[in-house]
Amino acid sequence: MNWVTAVPLQAYLTLSAALFAIGLLGVLVRRNAIAVLLGVELMLNAANINFVAFWRYGSSANMEGQVFAVIVMTLAAAEAAIALAIILNVYRRFKTVNVDQINLMKG
Amino acid sequence: MIAALWKEFLAGTFWQPLSFVLLALGVLLPALAVVFSRNIVHAALWLLPCLVSVAGLFVLLGAEALAGIQILIYCGGIVVLILFAVMLTYGVGDPDIRAFNRQLWWGLLGAAAFAVVAGFALTAQLWPGPPGPVPPDVTGRLADALLKQYVLAFEVSSVILLVAMVGALVVARAEPKE
Repeated sequence: MNWVTAVPLQAYLTLSAALFAIGLLGVLVRRNAIAVLLGVELMLNAANINFVAFWRYGSSANMEGQVFAVIVMTLAAAEAAIALAIILNVYRRFKTVNVDQINLMKG
Repeated sequence: MIAALWKEFLAGTFWQPLSFVLLALGVLLPALAVVFSRNIVHAALWLLPCLVSVAGLFVLLGAEALAGIQILIYCGGIVVLILFAVMLTYGVGDPDIRAFNRQLWWGLLGAAAFAVVAGFALTAQLWPGPPGPVPPDVTGRLADALLKQYVLAFEVSSVILLVAMVGALVVARAEPKE
């Protein structure tokens, strides 16, 4: 696969910014904690698109961009496992996973 | 003439923008569906086409190994994990429950503000032009980078994954019956 790329870098960055904004919207407006987690996953994917695009359009002899993307994916897996465990625990205690009903610490 | 067209097609000036647009639609429309579907099971399932399209973008950028990892970890791991969590909390997605909290308009405003700022930053900057062809053996060099130059970060991330796994088991464990 030794093609010359014909898509400008701005296209990837714009796509990634749009995906990040959609994920941010999901984090801000959803009530279900699992849906909030889905928004976080969208934002992490936007960051990964940026990493790989900058790897490709920068000096692609260095592999930092892809290494970063691999580590982001690893941490996304860890974060999903921890967050879902916490959500399960919250559900057991409050019988809900709606983030606006879990307000025990609200003064 | 057909041969010339085919050669131009293979050269990438036509099929690359086309596949980019298709993949971008495949990323953004399912992402919107993830945010706006009321049923949480549907939202989690809409994440799948979005993640697969991101893997397609990785292939388009010449990072095939990352595309494979993306499919394996995200589609095979995280989405299944999220579906399990949905199953263990809500049973089935109840359509009567409000999907959005009371800050829907403020949230829209915030996301739009981010999009405007990011768009301004994107247009204000002069980005590098199109690069040369993909260097050979990207996957092999990724393996080299992970296991030689960045082996510390790699090992630390794997330890974090192990700690997170044990921690998730401890946190999610059912409380012992008194």
